[in-house]
Amino acid sequence: MKRILAMLLALVMVFALVACGGNNSTTNNGGSTSGGSTSGGSKGEEGSIPGVQKTLTIGIASDINELDPQQQNDQINNNCFALTHQTLVFLTNDTNEQVPCLAESWEWTDDTHLVFKLVQNACFSDGTPFNADDVVFTYQKAMDPERSAVAATLSLVESVNKIDDYTVEFVTKSYSNELLSVLAGYPLSILSKEAYDDTSNEQPYLIGTGRYVFKEWKEGQSVTFVRNENFWGDDPGQADEIIFKPILESASRVAALQSGDIDVCIDPPINELSILQEDANVTVHNQAGTRLFYLGFNCAKEPFDNQTLRQAIACAINREEIINGVLDGYGQPQTTVVNRGVWSFYDDMEGFDYDVDRAKQLLSEAGYSEGELTVDLYISNGSPYTSIAPMIQEYLRVIGVTVNIQQFDEATLKSECQSGNQQMFLWRWNVIDRLDEIYTELFSTDYPTNYHHYSDSYVDEMAVKVLTEKDKDTRLQLSQDLQTYLVEACPQVPLYVADLVIAYNKNLQGTYLFGGGNHNWSWAYVALD
Amino acid sequence: MIRYVLKRLLFMIPTILLTSLIIYWAMDLAGGDVVGNMLPENATQEQRDALTEELGLNDPFVVRYARYMAGLVTGDMGVSYKTGKDVFKTFMERLPMTLALGGTALIVACIISIPLGIYTALNQNTWKDTTGMVFALFGVSMPNFWLGLMLMLIFAVKLNWLPSQGADGPKYLVLPALTVGLGLAALITRTTRSAMLDVIRQDYMTTAKAKGASHRRVIYYHGLKNAMIPIVTAIGMQFSLVMTGSALAEVVFSWPGIGRLVFESIDSRDIPMVTGSIILCCVLMSIINLIVDLIYAFLDPRIKAQYSNKG
Repeated sequence: MKRILAMLLALVMVFALVACGGNNSTTNNGGSTSGGSTSGGSKGEEGSIPGVQKTLTIGIASDINELDPQQQNDQINNNCFALTHQTLVFLTNDTNEQVPCLAESWEWTDDTHLVFKLVQNACFSDGTPFNADDVVFTYQKAMDPERSAVAATLSLVESVNKIDDYTVEFVTKSYSNELLSVLAGYPLSILSKEAYDDTSNEQPYLIGTGRYVFKEWKEGQSVTFVRNENFWGDDPGQADEIIFKPILESASRVAALQSGDIDVCIDPPINELSILQEDANVTVHNQAGTRLFYLGFNCAKEPFDNQTLRQAIACAINREEIINGVLDGYGQPQTTVVNRGVWSFYDDMEGFDYDVDRAKQLLSEAGYSEGELTVDLYISNGSPYTSIAPMIQEYLRVIGVTVNIQQFDEATLKSECQSGNQQMFLWRWNVIDRLDEIYTELFSTDYPTNYHHYSDSYVDEMAVKVLTEKDKDTRLQLSQDLQTYLVEACPQVPLYVADLVIAYNKNLQGTYLFGGGNHNWSWAYVALD
Repeated sequence: MIRYVLKRLLFMIPTILLTSLIIYWAMDLAGGDVVGNMLPENATQEQRDALTEELGLNDPFVVRYARYMAGLVTGDMGVSYKTGKDVFKTFMERLPMTLALGGTALIVACIISIPLGIYTALNQNTWKDTTGMVFALFGVSMPNFWLGLMLMLIFAVKLNWLPSQGADGPKYLVLPALTVGLGLAALITRTTRSAMLDVIRQDYMTTAKAKGASHRRVIYYHGLKNAMIPIVTAIGMQFSLVMTGSALAEVVFSWPGIGRLVFESIDSRDIPMVTGSIILCCVLMSIINLIVDLIYAFLDPRIKAQYSNKG
């Protein structure tokens, strides 16, 4: 009997080991990129373009939730709109420059007038030509809070007027360095006025000028796009179809990539990267990210209305250890509040590096003895916050501060922070290139996302100056001065900027990735050997 | 019999009322910021207040519940906070996928478990019995998601025989159905074995043998038929659970059924979708239980007579 039991247990273990084992010769042999059993995604058939796999399938971590660009501002939806729609200006992923797209040039004619010359050969996916009427219609709709969820992003714009068929004028309340970047956002993609005028068209927002056309959304299963055969530019999409598949479970997403069911795995779990790196048919790509994770303080409430105490906490935290523990090293520490990669990023100030003795000294200067202080740390119940929070709890225990961790779902956490109920909180902020998204949205007095409840007239004034200063050198100096000031004021402890890590079929070409995740898959395809 | 069925259907009303109250209350207690989930991150307090008012979230619990139930009576289960789609319609769109998964899993389970249960009962206290029971223990103990991932790694990643994800055809059903079915099989095997052990010691089995009936006929005609009541009960209960509880398998295999719908809705605090889905699951379970009870009547004339007397 014991023998039988032992044999059965052995069988179970073999079953588990076979399943869990890393890449072996079976996969490698089977993955020779030519047959139907290739691991890594080359099992698709050839599309209408020779040498290009017909379908590009992207495994995403959540389903899309909206098809109308102006009714949302979620990254996953925006990844879809990047395929189907275009904006006046396009933001590059390497230099963060605004380059022509549906506008071929633009000029500030004075402090309140921005004039765009539009391209004259563009057309929508239904074949109708694009002109100034479409731009005016799009922005009038976007500025109307009854018809748009992103009206607040255009608060600076007073009106948009047609000058002629291919010239439009934006009248603004003041000059802004960031307006062009705002206009590059996918929620402000250009819509077809003619499609909206056609009352029989129930989904006019699907019509865009992009390289792909929306085909089908099977909720919870997939959203499919096909190549726009009316595309006006000279660099159309390569794959016949692009499919986004929501696969919520990250381990399942990895398995789907290895089995070739998807070609791209968004957000592969860090603990499975070594398995993917061993797979000869998979490329694990990482690049500098733009998403800053930080420990924030409620500066309007005891005890963190005390700047010295905030500095003490900052000195107690070992960022390198957090990066290694939580991200397995896939991240960069930083001192400043501006996301790494954003123009004017400056990280050379002294700041508050990990130094337990200094932390204890500052704690004492702040008026607290060891063991006296107990604080709440509010976090969202997802990753990576649940991993970071216990580490912070331990760091602060070392200097004699007790931390109670309180978990919420993300929306509740935001609501709690907006109401000012928190003392400390863990949060993240993704910024690609707009400084106002940092200085104004995080630190300006009474701004809804100023969860620090930080209020400082100097910061408010400087934020406006950085936003409106035209001289580049002066603006750079202003921005760096403001960063130095904010690091000293310490409304937050910047922890790290997580790298963008993404895994895909080794034959994937034409990727256009952004460190914060706002990828544009318009040019991507899988090359067949 | 018809009156019995009608009576059972009427009993569903208080069940639904109680379930709706509990789930509505539970969602209320769970808290969560519904408005925050629906609005962009930089929404102003005014926008939040306006939406809160529009959704009626400022009203007391009793008022909100009464309003919800008034809608339910008229067939209006509300719209999803997340997608804006009709709750009932969304549920019904997902239901066939769950029925397909649950039904296939149940068939897999029955094919494995009933013969295995009989076999282990007939070979009680031998190594064959132990092997079968170890399998059953294995099936009961294994978490669904772990088994699912293991099957996926073997059959999709290593062997490349089956797709790992999705719901585009029958072959996509194999791995999720096996995952759910193996878990079910374990429980039904144990029940079948136990029921058969009770039956094979009965006098009528000895009588059947003495009358010269073949071994096969004795086991499958006289034995199995009499052991079917607890087996059908177990299958019915398991089927109800599969219909409403295969969320993990649906998440692992990206199977767009109601389990995954509820999972996602809870995550996004989509109160109308969670409440509506659970009420509909409750109705579904009640109907399945009723069907199971009716099957008893076909299996056992004594129960049929009881129904008729009650009716």
